[in-house]
Order: sequence, then C-alpha cells, then structure tokens
Amino acid sequence: MIDYTQIQKPQQYIGNEWNVVKKNHDGKITVCISYPDAYAIGMSNLGLRIIYGLLNEASDVVCERVFLPGQDFIGELLAQKNKLFSLETKTPLDSFEVIGFNLSCELNFINFLKILYLGGLALKSSERPNTIVMGGGLANPEPLAEFVDCFYLGEFESGAQSFLEVLRKYKDKESRLKALSEIEGFYVPRFYVAKLSADKYCFERTYHYASFPLRRAYVKDLNSAYYPRRWLIPHTPIVHDRVQIEIARGCPNRCTFCQARSLYYPYRERKPEIVGQLIKAIYETSGYENFSLLSLSASDYSSIESLIDETIGYFSPRKIGLSLPSLHIDDIIGGLYKKLIPLKKTSLTCALEVARDDLRSKLNKKIDTSKLFEAAAILRALNIRHLKIYFMFGFPGETEEDLAAIGDFLQKLMHQTKIALHVSVNAFVPKPFSSWESVPMAQESELILKRSIILKHIPAWRSISVTISPIKRTLLEAILCRAPREFSKVIHNVLLKELKSSLPVNSPGDSFWWDRWKKAMEEEGFDYRPLLEASSSNFPWSFIEKGAGSENTCSKLQIPNHKLQINSNNQNHNG
Amino acid sequence: MDVKKYPLKVTLHKFGEMIYFSQLDLVKILERALRRAQLPLYFTQGYSPRVKLSFSNGLKLGVEGRIGVTFYFTENILLESLLEKLARQLPQGLEIITEPLE
Repeated sequence: MIDYTQIQKPQQYIGNEWNVVKKNHDGKITVCISYPDAYAIGMSNLGLRIIYGLLNEASDVVCERVFLPGQDFIGELLAQKNKLFSLETKTPLDSFEVIGFNLSCELNFINFLKILYLGGLALKSSERPNTIVMGGGLANPEPLAEFVDCFYLGEFESGAQSFLEVLRKYKDKESRLKALSEIEGFYVPRFYVAKLSADKYCFERTYHYASFPLRRAYVKDLNSAYYPRRWLIPHTPIVHDRVQIEIARGCPNRCTFCQARSLYYPYRERKPEIVGQLIKAIYETSGYENFSLLSLSASDYSSIESLIDETIGYFSPRKIGLSLPSLHIDDIIGGLYKKLIPLKKTSLTCALEVARDDLRSKLNKKIDTSKLFEAAAILRALNIRHLKIYFMFGFPGETEEDLAAIGDFLQKLMHQTKIALHVSVNAFVPKPFSSWESVPMAQESELILKRSIILKHIPAWRSISVTISPIKRTLLEAILCRAPREFSKVIHNVLLKELKSSLPVNSPGDSFWWDRWKKAMEEEGFDYRPLLEASSSNFPWSFIEKGAGSENTCSKLQIPNHKLQINSNNQNHNG
Repeated sequence: MDVKKYPLKVTLHKFGEMIYFSQLDLVKILERALRRAQLPLYFTQGYSPRVKLSFSNGLKLGVEGRIGVTFYFTENILLESLLEKLARQLPQGLEIITEPLE
C-alpha cells in the first residue's frame, strides 16, 4: 500500500471525483483509458471525458482511468514492486482487456510507453498476448505502429458501438484485431507492411480483409452524438478547471498551416437548444462554477449572439463564469464581447499568427489587425485582466520586416489598450494533413536566427510576457509528427534511456533532453533531416486518405524558399 | 442593493479518502455541493463574486477530524432542511454532524 501522506498531490491518485463511475468487473468488458500526462492535464481533455462516459453507458462494459503519476509515486510503486493501477478500482493495468490512449500530443509518446511499462505490460504489440492497446487523436500513427495494436482514425464516438460489438463477439486478441481492422476508422498496423522504395512510401495489406485505403471516421451529426452529462469533477484544481461545452467541431476557415481543419473535417455545429440543455443538465449534476463554450472558432458559430444571450440569462443569476476561447476581433468591435461584462471574469485570446497583413493573407488567415486597435477602447472598458496573443514564425518567404513587426505591433497595442499582454510565439511545423504538409520546415540555424530577431524587437516591459518555444522542442515535435514506422526503434531507445535515468524525459528547454533524442537517433542510424525537408514524393502517413478538409494549396500558391535576407549585423545572434 | 445574509453554522466531519484533500480544495468541494443542492447562496460582493464560507479551524492534510463551517444564505434555512438537501451532494468522507464542535 502507498502511504499517500508521503506523496505530493495525493488528491490525483484517489479516484473519488464527483460523478466517478465505479463498477464491479464481473463478466464485463474491461477498458482503461489514459491521457498520458499528469492528472491535472489529462483531466482537462474533453475527448477522454467523452469516451469515459460513452463506454460506461454500456452496462456490460467498465471503463476506468489512469494518468502518468509523479516521480515520487513511481518511486514507491517500483520500490514495492507494484504495478500501476487504475484510479477507480485500483486494478493493475495488465488486468484490463483494453487500454486506450489519447496520443494527440507527440511529446507524450514517451509517457505513453512509460505507463505501459509501469502497468506491467510489454511495450511492443507483438509481445503482448492478450491486452489490446488502442491509440487515437494523432494524425500520423506510424511512429507508434510497433507499440499500438489498433489506432482509431478520427472521432471515436462514431466507432464506439462497433468496437464494443467486436469485443463482445470475439475473445482472443487476434480475432478481435482482425474484426476491428475490417471496420472503417480502425487501423491495425500489424496487417500492413510499410516500406520506402525509390523515394516513395509503399503500403500493402497482409490481411486480405483489412480496410484499404484507410479513411478517417467522424460523427455525422453532433446533435445526436453522445455528450457527457454527468461531468466528472476533480476535488482539486486542474489545468482547464471548467466545464467544456463543445458548441461546434471542425473549422470553416482554411489557414494553410492548420492541421485541425482536416483532422476534424467537416465543420459541424451543435444546435443552440441542445447546447442549452447540456449546460442546464451539467450544471445541475456538477455545480461547477465555470463553463467554456468550446470550438475552434466560436465567431463562426451561426447563432453565437443568441446563444450567448441565452447562456448569460442562465449564468448571470447563478454567478457562473464563462469563457469563449476563440473569438474574432470583429466580434469585439461588434459588441459581442460586451455582453460578457456582467459575467464573473473574462479573458480574451487572439490568434494573429503574424504581425503583417500581407504575410497573413498568404497563410489564408483572415484577420484585419487594424481592427484590434479600433477595439482598444472597448478592451479597456471590458475590465479584462490580460489579452493572450498568438504568433507564429518560420514561414517560407518571411522577411526580416515580418519578424520585427511583432515587437512593433505589441508596443503599439500596449500603448493603446494598457492591458497586460501574454504573447506566445511558436515556430511553424508542416503538420501532416495540413495544406502545407509538403512545405519544407526551416532549418534549425534559420529558426534560431529568426527567433533572436523577434526577441530583439519585443520591448522588455513587465506588462508584456513572452513565451517562445525552444527551437529544439519544436524540431522534436516536427520529427515525431512526421516520422515513419521505423522511428519506433528510436522511441524505444529513448524510453530505455529514460528508464535507466531518474530524470524525467519531459523537461522542455533542457538541452539534456534533446541530447537524449539526438543520441538515440544516431545510435539507431536515423537521419531526421529528410523528414523535415519533405524530400520524398509522398509521406509515411499518405496511406490514410486525405479528406476533403485537407486540399493541397501548395501548388496554387507560390512557396518561396526559406532563405531570409538578413542584415549583416544580425548574424551574431543565436540561441 | 444590500442582500441580507443568514449564517448557519455546522460541524463537518472529514474522514476516509477526503483526508487527502486540502482546506483550499474543501472550499470548492463545498461550494459545488451547495450549488448542486440549489440552496439560496449568498455571494461575496465585488468584481469576482464567490460563495461565502467561513471555517473555524483547519485540518492538516492526511488527518481525520472535525471542522466548524459557517454557510451564508440569502434566506433563513433551517438545519434540517440543509441536512436533507446537502447530505446527498457531499462526497463520501464528508458528513455534516449536528453536535457542535468542541
């Protein structure tokens, strides 16, 4: 037994959240699901909550949860020779029939394997005779193909019933995987071979009935789709400490760098009446004091004004807070944001991507920044604590003026609004299935230079806080999201290094952390550069059909090369 | 407009799994339970209104024991009525007991 008084944040291991589902396992199909990161992060994930509720609806299924424990807890587990267990019934992971992982964040790949290891399971799919490891949420499943038995491509609500049918009908792993592989959306890597020949990835199935080509599956109608009403409430703060009401899925905009548009294609809305019912039902069973209306672009929701009017009518007397994470600037000027004043607290986010309008139009991002200045007076009146602004850099054809403009823009905005600015700057990664998946990524030295130019122009004021992603971290993200099947061996190598050392692998910014990956790539003889240069004629993920959401715009747009015209005095900056 | 507030003092017994939750966690746990019970809550005034609660003592993490809690309502709520509505909204390990705190 673990003495929780000796453990940091013991709350995260108790599993007694309000609305938690605890069932006995007798004769039931047992599933454990995980977001492979710390509890406070994992519990903020909406997909996990949807799947948890959906699977537990079935009376013959039990679905429990597990997250990555802290180092102190792991130390205790190993010292006592115990296996990592589920939160609900403290069942060791290797006793479940299925373990499902949300693998949407590449930097969690090592955490995912660590959870398997701690749970007493073999890492490789071929070495696990019974347990089925499922993975979802990622665009390119290939780098994990050796570890995951079956991926779900797309939105799991659409495949959950067929999944359970297969588990009811077949009891051994091989028959289950075969049956799943025949259903749209399920991808079982062991039934396909992938190889690179003559600069082209070839993909063939080895089991005759496995689906091919593979297609992403999605929820046809959000209104009839399952949505959790008995909201799990942790008794301790988590990162997104609010009820998320998903008002729409997908995005009608066509920003070239964006992966979400194609992963969640097509754009679908949930009717305002259904949203209203969900808010009421969830509030009554949760008592949560904060809600957010979630979508990739709330401003595009057809009846956003009337939805907000109605929501405020319900929230205001009950003193419930509301956040809308994705509004356009036009809506601030249009007064939509003013409606939120009577509510508890509000913060505002603007994804501007780049500071100059001509580059932004190349990215197909439709925002007129001059409007942000028009909105200054409104912003001041709103009593907003801070404004969050997102920028990206590392685009081909970007000029030094484009980079310097970020600082100038922030300076001007600060002068006019007098609101604290939280600025986040990230380097461009050509993500699989985005319109720009075949645009080469800028070289490391180029990114370091560009980063230093941006930082040089941002005024060092206390009211402007800047987070800019470390270049090596971005590089690793890019490698992991674009990697082929053979990359599994590098991931495995890093995990072994990680298990031997007591230091956590995810300490971003740490040069040691990148060194571990670099060393593993060298040891396994893997050269990552061709991946980022997009030098093959197709990609490791090209066997998955491109949906209508990822039209390739590269051919239509002139993509200039990366070489930046820099004045000689900038050449000394790096890092 | 001034809203009248009606205090109601009770004793809370914290035991079992709930001993691992801090006093700060307890504020949210009680607030959410009160909201679910649909009781007429008194909120603090000002920009960021919160449910008003006060504690007569605190308990260290990992320790079982009793805490004096005062709830504030906008109408007079009888103890029996509070017990009836709130008890089923409290997680296992939190119990309102009628005897006063020592």
